[in-house]
Amino acid sequence: MNPAPGTLPTPPVSPGGPPLFRLSQVTKSFGAVRALRNVSFELAPGEVHALLGENGAGKSTLIKVITGAHQPDGGLLEFEGREVSHLTPTRARQLGIACIYQQPALFPDLSVAENIGLRLEPPGSFSRVNWQQRHQQARELLTRIGAAIDPETEVRALSMPEQQLVEIACALGSGAKLVVMDEPTASLTRTEQELLFGVVRDLRASGVGVIYISHRLEEIFALADRVTVLRDGESVATRSVRDADGTSTLTEAELIRMMVGREVAAIYPPRTATFGQTVLGIDNLSCAAGGVREVSLEVRAGEVFGLAGLVGAGRTELARVLFGITPADSGTIRLNGHTIRVGNPQEAVEHGVAYVPEDRRRHGVILPLPIAHNMTMAIHRRFFPGTWLRFGREESLASEFIQKLGIKAYGPAAPGGSLSGGNQQKVSLARWLATEPRLLILDEPTQGVDVGAKSEIHKIIRDLAAEGLAVLMISSDLPEVLGMSDRIGIMQGGRLVHVLDGATATADAVMTAALAAA
Amino acid sequence: MNRYFRELSVTGALVLLLAVLAIWAPHFYQPQPLLSRFTAQTPALILTIGMTLVMIVRQIDISVGAQFGVCAVVAGLISASGAPLIVALAAALAAGAIMGALNGVLIAWMGLPSIVVSLATMVTWAELLRLFQQGKFINLPANVQWFGLSQSAGQQGLIFGSVLLLAGVSWLLKNRSGGRHIYAVGSDAEAARLAGINPKLTTFTVFVIMGTLAGLAAVLNMVQSPQVDPKCGVALELRAIAAAVVGGVAVSGGRGRLWGSFAGLLLLATINPALTFLHVEAYWEKAIQGLVILLAVIADGLRSRRQTS
Amino acid sequence: MSSQNSRSIKSLLLRHEVLLVLVLVLEIFYFLNNARNFGTPDNLSNIVRHSAEIGLLALAMMPVILTGGIDLSVGSLLGLCAVLFGVMTHDWHWATLPAAFVTILLGGLAGAFNATLITALRLPPLIVTLGTYSLFRGLAEAITQGTKTYRSFDPGFLGLGEFRFLGLPLQGWVLGFAALFFGILVHLTVFGRSFRAIGYSPEGTRYAGIPVLRRTAMPYILAGLTAAVAALLFTARLQQARADAGTGYELAAITAVVLGGTSIFGGSGTVYGTLTGIAAIAILSNGISRVPAVLKAGIGGELASLLTGALLLLALAAPALVRLLQSARKQPTT
Repeated sequence: MNPAPGTLPTPPVSPGGPPLFRLSQVTKSFGAVRALRNVSFELAPGEVHALLGENGAGKSTLIKVITGAHQPDGGLLEFEGREVSHLTPTRARQLGIACIYQQPALFPDLSVAENIGLRLEPPGSFSRVNWQQRHQQARELLTRIGAAIDPETEVRALSMPEQQLVEIACALGSGAKLVVMDEPTASLTRTEQELLFGVVRDLRASGVGVIYISHRLEEIFALADRVTVLRDGESVATRSVRDADGTSTLTEAELIRMMVGREVAAIYPPRTATFGQTVLGIDNLSCAAGGVREVSLEVRAGEVFGLAGLVGAGRTELARVLFGITPADSGTIRLNGHTIRVGNPQEAVEHGVAYVPEDRRRHGVILPLPIAHNMTMAIHRRFFPGTWLRFGREESLASEFIQKLGIKAYGPAAPGGSLSGGNQQKVSLARWLATEPRLLILDEPTQGVDVGAKSEIHKIIRDLAAEGLAVLMISSDLPEVLGMSDRIGIMQGGRLVHVLDGATATADAVMTAALAAA
Repeated sequence: MNRYFRELSVTGALVLLLAVLAIWAPHFYQPQPLLSRFTAQTPALILTIGMTLVMIVRQIDISVGAQFGVCAVVAGLISASGAPLIVALAAALAAGAIMGALNGVLIAWMGLPSIVVSLATMVTWAELLRLFQQGKFINLPANVQWFGLSQSAGQQGLIFGSVLLLAGVSWLLKNRSGGRHIYAVGSDAEAARLAGINPKLTTFTVFVIMGTLAGLAAVLNMVQSPQVDPKCGVALELRAIAAAVVGGVAVSGGRGRLWGSFAGLLLLATINPALTFLHVEAYWEKAIQGLVILLAVIADGLRSRRQTS
Repeated sequence: MSSQNSRSIKSLLLRHEVLLVLVLVLEIFYFLNNARNFGTPDNLSNIVRHSAEIGLLALAMMPVILTGGIDLSVGSLLGLCAVLFGVMTHDWHWATLPAAFVTILLGGLAGAFNATLITALRLPPLIVTLGTYSLFRGLAEAITQGTKTYRSFDPGFLGLGEFRFLGLPLQGWVLGFAALFFGILVHLTVFGRSFRAIGYSPEGTRYAGIPVLRRTAMPYILAGLTAAVAALLFTARLQQARADAGTGYELAAITAVVLGGTSIFGGSGTVYGTLTGIAAIAILSNGISRVPAVLKAGIGGELASLLTGALLLLALAAPALVRLLQSARKQPTT
């Protein structure tokens, strides 16, 4: 029914017609962090336009600008040739912009048919609910995307990919003119992917513009007409995937080079040459609930082991297993040669495992509490013998860390929420350094942190390693992984698929390994 | 059938209890006492309807007993002055709607937790009532009781009317978009907002409905006796919450059906006479009610835990 | 921006407690001038005696609310413990001391029952304690068959109800001790730290390696123990134990805590604020019933409760109102 990948007909675009959607010179900052810088981008009706970039290149921000969830600081948005000055989510929906997020926004307690109905019906209060029509509509839409889901099932009983298919059905049913798909295949099985490709091609054939975000290069070659590469919040290039007679005009290698194409600046602190004993050793570690599969690796004292891979590749999940948040089902964890059991975070802390989590604001720092309280949270038992708080001792510890890590705050009593992102990150780090750990797990240590704080944090990490700490560093920031790691492990689908030497690894090599089809 | 599991299990328990009574205490089924017993539950039934809506939208209202009391006194005083019943009814409904709206403003628009807000309004209304009425009963004119009809005609009317209301609200909840919005907001307020529903307005409306129903329930209670007891609403909120929880309405919102709450109410209401008929002391009623609530939440908790893991 | 926010929240909290003290001073000033025999030493100890039980429950409720939970069952538990104490001393002829000891133990067990359902089964505190609210009161009614009242306790025990040491009634000493205990627990130990952190963010607290479930359970168990102690005081003061003892006390306790500036969402609050809240309510209910006009109408109790309810509503709505006003003022400038 659908043409095979690679043999798509040329897009039905009238060459001189106005684009469906255009962004010109769009800028967006969050505090000191510039998420988007002069991004320009254009979508024709009936075009599948892929957006490509590393994690943190600005794709999610760009999507949020397109769907009205974020207001850009500067730049111009045009829809069907008319300027849209103040785009809100409601306005976007009215215009016919639909988005399928990675995390579906569905009602878990209601049936599939009702979820679709509530999205598509006009929100009057006393209109009749036509259940027959709702079921029929749901069945039609689900059939159109080939999803074998009973419209009567409650959404909470569906798997994540099935929920995503329901989202897609909603977008399809809304008659949208522009559909944004944010990594729609991330959790889909092979067959479900094929179905989805069919839907995308149908949409394209009916003149809908599709913005397609994916890390899987083969999908981009199979589906997209054009591809725009984002890097560090800038649109680097827009290229046609194939020319008029369908021959490829682009190679995977070219795309990867565009994505990572920058010199790794020599601002990273120098590596230490000597490593000590093996501190962390894990063998065949698996956790079904967490999505970690048979991971084995070793980290030595003084070593920074970088973990690269895509979001959802199982890196954070591995950290959560090591820290006891989702304990392992099978496999062993050894610390300094002894096999340990980590059933909950308390046990992890007792064994000297420290975890600086990715979501700083939810897990790393308790924002309303003073930073001094935050810093002593993980050492209650040791630092406050007999459970008595010792305020003087706490304050001097906090002052010490404030000075040592260069935390900018008005004092130990400043609430965590009053600090900038980078300084919050340092507070989170201080909490774990206070435990005097043997293994330090860092999850995206510099995400959303401004440049100055970033290099300070890098220096701190290197110093800690030099003091003999074993560091497991998860990062989606490729230059950071390359610049900081002594060895680089690459994860994909919950498995550790590659280990490269940090000194000789190249961005291309890491990216290629991370993007390679499983 | 899994979808109706909770409702069916409560109905099953009710049928079982009724069967036990049929075998060991057939007196229970004498028509006139049974009719009276059922009639006495109609005010609680009306409150249960409202409480089910409130809990579906993921809130709770502890002040309904106090609202009920205030409405009862309002209706009683107006009836005692000789005004027609319809005027008393309108006043009670209006009083209930106003009290419900106050809860609604504080909870929906100020974002305060419903448990504490309704605790506070409960104290305020209850004490205002005590202050105003000093515990004095209000004597009603003769034509108020049973709407001036015969007792059995009045009882049948009450039962018919309240069951009709239950069926009506149940139908609206299922077949009008406003009803579905209550479920949607209770299930996920943010997703509801994205779907173009106004969660604040929906929550506010539900509290106003709750208050209005409290007014209606108070009038249905009034016509059953020659006097109005200003303390008639005490602990009624617990009965309504218990009925809804037992009937499968989730405290976490978005789930539940009116007929489940109805079965829950009947089950709870049958426990007391069952105890008497089966020669168990009736003092255990409140303890058993508490135990039934706990069992219901524990069962829900275990079920949802199994589903997520 | 966020620093400004937290500072304004802090100043608001400051204002809240300052405001409450102001209300307290005004109350005292008004009643000194208008209420009959308000300022006499006899009346002062009266205030302390009558506010002790609710005060105890409020102090125990404070850490529960600090963790973001609530305990609606304390009033019912007070009734149950009073009745159990009556059963042990009357029906089983136990001596007062072991009976009191076992009563307190049972109170702790009841609290542990709440705690288990809330932490081990992860059920919402509101609905669990609503269930035990009904269960505990129901058990008390079942044991006493609804009507039985236990009287004629050991005179030594009843003497405690009137006992004074250094001019302060026993209830004052117990209340003071409890205030000291909870004050220390909340403000000077790692437990209080954990309660606060859990109230702000249970997930975040878990990521810091703090045993969240164990720490959450503690305040409920303490609330059970405290309710039992309050039951003993109640029995000694009224010289009787009945199933309806402590009806509505959970509301008064929650009111005192919220009035005292503890956030109902958990995380922030002080024991000192709770004490002020207790005092404000106790003085209000005592003083108002001594105002001649109120005294003549005999409406002291109702008026005091009504004002308490209204005060609670105001205390709840105040932060939201201030927020609304602030954002309304900010809107045009941005």
